[in-house]
Amino acid sequence: MAVQVVTGNHAAGYALSVAGEANRKARGVACGIYPITPQTEIVEYVAGFPFSKGRVVPVESEHSAMAVSMGASISGARAFTASSSNGLAYMAENIMVAGYYRLPIVMVAVNRTLGPPWNIWADQGDTLMLRDFAWLQFYCEDNQEVLDTTLLAFRLAENRRILLPALICMDAFIVSHTQTETVLPEQNEVDAFLPELDLPHRLHYNEARTLGGLAWPHEGLSMRLEIDEAMKRVPDVYQECRESFLEVFGRDPGDVIQMFATDDAEMVVIATGTVATTAREVVRRRRKAGEKIGLVKLKMFRPFPAAALRDACQSATHLAVLDRNYAAGSGGIFWQETRAAFQGYRDDVLIQNYLAGLCGGDVTPAVIDEVLADLGSRSEAGEPVWMGIEAGEETLQ
Amino acid sequence: MGVAAGKGCRRSEAMIEIRIHGRGGQGGVTLAKLIATSRFLEGLSVQAFGLYAAERSGAPIQAFCRYSDEPITNRNLIYEPDHVIVLDPTLVGPPIAAGLKIGGWILINSPQSPEEYAGQFPRHRLAAVDATSIARDNNLGTRSVPIVNTALAGAVCKILAIPLHEMRAALEHLGFKGSNLTAATRACEEVRQLALSNEFDHTEEVAAPLPEGRGPSILAGAGGSLPAIKTGQWASEQPHRQQLIPPCNHICPAGNNVQGFLNALARQETDEALEILLRTTPFPSICGRACPAPCMEACNRIELDGAVNVRQMERYAGDHGQVAPEALAVRDERIAIIGSGPAGLTAAYHLARFGYRVKVFESGPDIGGLLRTGIPEFRLPGDVVAREIDRILGLGIIVETDHRIDRQSLLDLARNHDALLVATGLQQQRDLRLGMDGTETVVQGIDFLDHVHRGDVRVDGEDVLVIGGGNTAIDAARSALRLGARSVRVVYRRTRIEMPAIREEIDEAIEEGVALELLSLPVALQEEPSDGIRRHQRLTCRRMKLGEPDESRRRAPVEIPGSEFELACNRVILALGQSRDLSVFPEGTEVREGTQLLGLLETPLFAIGDLATGDGTVAGAIGSGRRAAVRIHNVLSGENLQISEHAEALRDVDAWRDDVIRADAMKLHVFERQPASEGDSLALSERRSTFDEVHMGLEDSSEATRCLSCGVCNECDLCCTYCPEGVLKRVGHRLEFDYAYCKGCGVCMAECPRNVIFMSHL
Repeated sequence: MAVQVVTGNHAAGYALSVAGEANRKARGVACGIYPITPQTEIVEYVAGFPFSKGRVVPVESEHSAMAVSMGASISGARAFTASSSNGLAYMAENIMVAGYYRLPIVMVAVNRTLGPPWNIWADQGDTLMLRDFAWLQFYCEDNQEVLDTTLLAFRLAENRRILLPALICMDAFIVSHTQTETVLPEQNEVDAFLPELDLPHRLHYNEARTLGGLAWPHEGLSMRLEIDEAMKRVPDVYQECRESFLEVFGRDPGDVIQMFATDDAEMVVIATGTVATTAREVVRRRRKAGEKIGLVKLKMFRPFPAAALRDACQSATHLAVLDRNYAAGSGGIFWQETRAAFQGYRDDVLIQNYLAGLCGGDVTPAVIDEVLADLGSRSEAGEPVWMGIEAGEETLQ
Repeated sequence: MGVAAGKGCRRSEAMIEIRIHGRGGQGGVTLAKLIATSRFLEGLSVQAFGLYAAERSGAPIQAFCRYSDEPITNRNLIYEPDHVIVLDPTLVGPPIAAGLKIGGWILINSPQSPEEYAGQFPRHRLAAVDATSIARDNNLGTRSVPIVNTALAGAVCKILAIPLHEMRAALEHLGFKGSNLTAATRACEEVRQLALSNEFDHTEEVAAPLPEGRGPSILAGAGGSLPAIKTGQWASEQPHRQQLIPPCNHICPAGNNVQGFLNALARQETDEALEILLRTTPFPSICGRACPAPCMEACNRIELDGAVNVRQMERYAGDHGQVAPEALAVRDERIAIIGSGPAGLTAAYHLARFGYRVKVFESGPDIGGLLRTGIPEFRLPGDVVAREIDRILGLGIIVETDHRIDRQSLLDLARNHDALLVATGLQQQRDLRLGMDGTETVVQGIDFLDHVHRGDVRVDGEDVLVIGGGNTAIDAARSALRLGARSVRVVYRRTRIEMPAIREEIDEAIEEGVALELLSLPVALQEEPSDGIRRHQRLTCRRMKLGEPDESRRRAPVEIPGSEFELACNRVILALGQSRDLSVFPEGTEVREGTQLLGLLETPLFAIGDLATGDGTVAGAIGSGRRAAVRIHNVLSGENLQISEHAEALRDVDAWRDDVIRADAMKLHVFERQPASEGDSLALSERRSTFDEVHMGLEDSSEATRCLSCGVCNECDLCCTYCPEGVLKRVGHRLEFDYAYCKGCGVCMAECPRNVIFMSHL
């Protein structure tokens, strides 16, 4: 096991490659992948990896990248891909199909603002647009977490009780292009962690069969219900995978939600990705000053860990949900999910939304302080607050 | 939780609900709309709708109609209909009565009487009408998928007591006219009703339940796919493989499987190509040089970019293939053949392969007849002829040369042989009849070519006239040029188009310097004074013009009075054609090809080749010899072998059709244009001075890939590639249609460029 200074993209590309290689004694690895800023380094890494069995297929678009990965997965290969932003939008139709086909494909997404206007910086709107597509979703805050969660995601997605694809997300540039020390595990360790893929519904070339043909309403209903049941099993299976990971690599890949100083916190900040890193430091500083403030980092978004989130916020009266995304006409998406998680369970909690870091804006400690100041002054929740810009009457031409 | 169908779908007592069972394309949804419209026009509240899935023509479908004098407020399917209409009698079964109200009508489109169905549906009233016949009689829809809805609308009027004029109003409201109205009226009159018997079964009908429990899992191994739907039952047509006759095979006088040997060459299977040729002809190398190749004139590829160069491909197979034919049996019967030309040798070849003991009598010193003497070396080298004759003789055939058979010796042969074949060809040459026939000045072309072969004639410095337009004329002219003639002129009474010689040979003769004097009829020949070195003659000709076509279908030459002109020359070569010498037969014998000459001898006797047909081509002689061999075999053995004139039927063909496929039945646009390979020729200077073979032949068999394989599957697999359902595959040489799933879309037929797939109506 070697510690190297690499980018988040490098860490992701490494994890995808060694995970693919770990299936060499079974059906190998096969996938399609297509470059897009800021994910291109991942493509370069996996395309240059000397796989023992299988190959990375160059394709002409994201849509085809997922199509190839689906074809590979459905015939038993370990399949992965990576994309970002508008590339994910173009891939979306097949992303949805992969979920409903129950294919354990792992995709790394570098969160980048959807254009126009063209913008290559961090914003989670691209992957959150895919939130209802039967994929597991994880948001990571640093290179090591990207690497570890990617490896874990293969084992989780391929588990017979789950069999759903998984999306591993990181903030553009802040993680993808930032070089920090990262532990790159050896292939034999990865081999020990990842069993060979044995897809129960794989297609065989000599056995003609269709998958997902026309289903009458009741038949379709059964398949949707199965997805819901698989989603409900994820928390337990995740913990099993997490323990195995710890055993093999000696490192904790982290829980699906991660609490910091929440025990007696009255105000809790709920954040994801690198915003959580910054918020954690603000909370640490203000805790020292005696303020009863805590942080919950949402690592897993699908399935949404509603019960765990409620448990983590037991002492809180005020919740600030930081969203680096905006669902037009509504508000932040994590905020919507958080409100739904509490509604009917704890209607006494004030849940306020702060839109911070959209379109790649830098979420500095000062922004978090501003959020906490606003939250502390509230007696009731209001409309989502746009951080870093004056809200008011839009100028009508 | 499961819910009983129909629960909560309770309707007003005044509401009538109808369920229609049909197949896609029959118009079930429109029938629902017609019934609804007829009620709507009477002021009722109505709904008409279909239950849609992945339907297409022929798939079982359901449609629904409800009407009420109160506003309709529910939007559910109909689970407990008052009446049921069945558009297709093949759908009749328990499901059509599911949930049907006791005593409700079941109206079936069927030629059968309603009594036939009474046993199946004891709780319901039955009616039947032959709507399919009514629709067909009124040209509604197609023959295979008649649209029966308007007829059934008329029948509905009768059973539901809807006045017919109200349904006619609905039809007109929806734009139906004429034959649809006729069909409705007739069905209303013809529908047969069967009321419930007094003792009908009053047991309460149990409504069909909604599906309960878990459906299939996408993860459940083979069950990951939904229960298979046999889409083949949607089909109204099915594809099949057929074989048609390629025009080349049809026209080949030798009966060669042209498409078959080209197909083998295209696969670079040269030995197989030769083997296919040797089934019919012992002379592929010879015909590959000297055949007029009518196959090339019939070739469908002419419509695209020119005929396949079949002649050169036959030559390639003959020259490069390695196959030694063997006798297939050993028999005791002895057969004598008179004449060792192509017809006699072909008959000998096939009879020897059948196992007969064959002896050939040749009056001249060499075996081969005109193959040896009649075609010059530059067109047909002697070693090629020798090689093919050796292959025939290798079957154990005995040839006696310099053994002339006359009428008496024929009778002697009959005594110690089991069959006789006379293949003496055309021995008598036509004369000029201008007073100098048989002199040194006027020689017969056949004799001239014989001398050329023997190397004992020169025409140095002479002006030579050749009279005639066939291959002998052109061969003699080109030979004269090579033997030193100062000028060679071919005199012919019609135009180039009518000349029987092979077109390419005429072209080459002109290239080499032979002049054509067309539309010229010799009328006088006069000896001029000699200059001491050579003799001089003057041929007087009369100009001709073309008139109406004659019995040969060529336009007949008509003399132009007063148009005489003179040609000076030192030698006249005649090539006016030949006629047969029947002196070997008893007087009065009518010699016809293909029939045993009866009544002359007890021994079966046949005349074959040019003697019988007057055809004049090697290919024709080959065909005649082969046909005679098969007939003799059938006479002697009592078997009944068929004389296949074209490609043998491929294996695994559903239909072998006796039709010749023409270019308009081919999808020529599918093929890439690719000009024919002609091969190299000898340099002109050498052609004028040597008898070296003019055509050098093709270096490889790639020309064969131009064969379109008209009407015969060549396993291009376009059909398999384009089958949208993946239900067509080729296994070995067989096309496997999976009729359980084939919907009969016809894409395979549409994609096949060679018309190998046809659709049958179900």
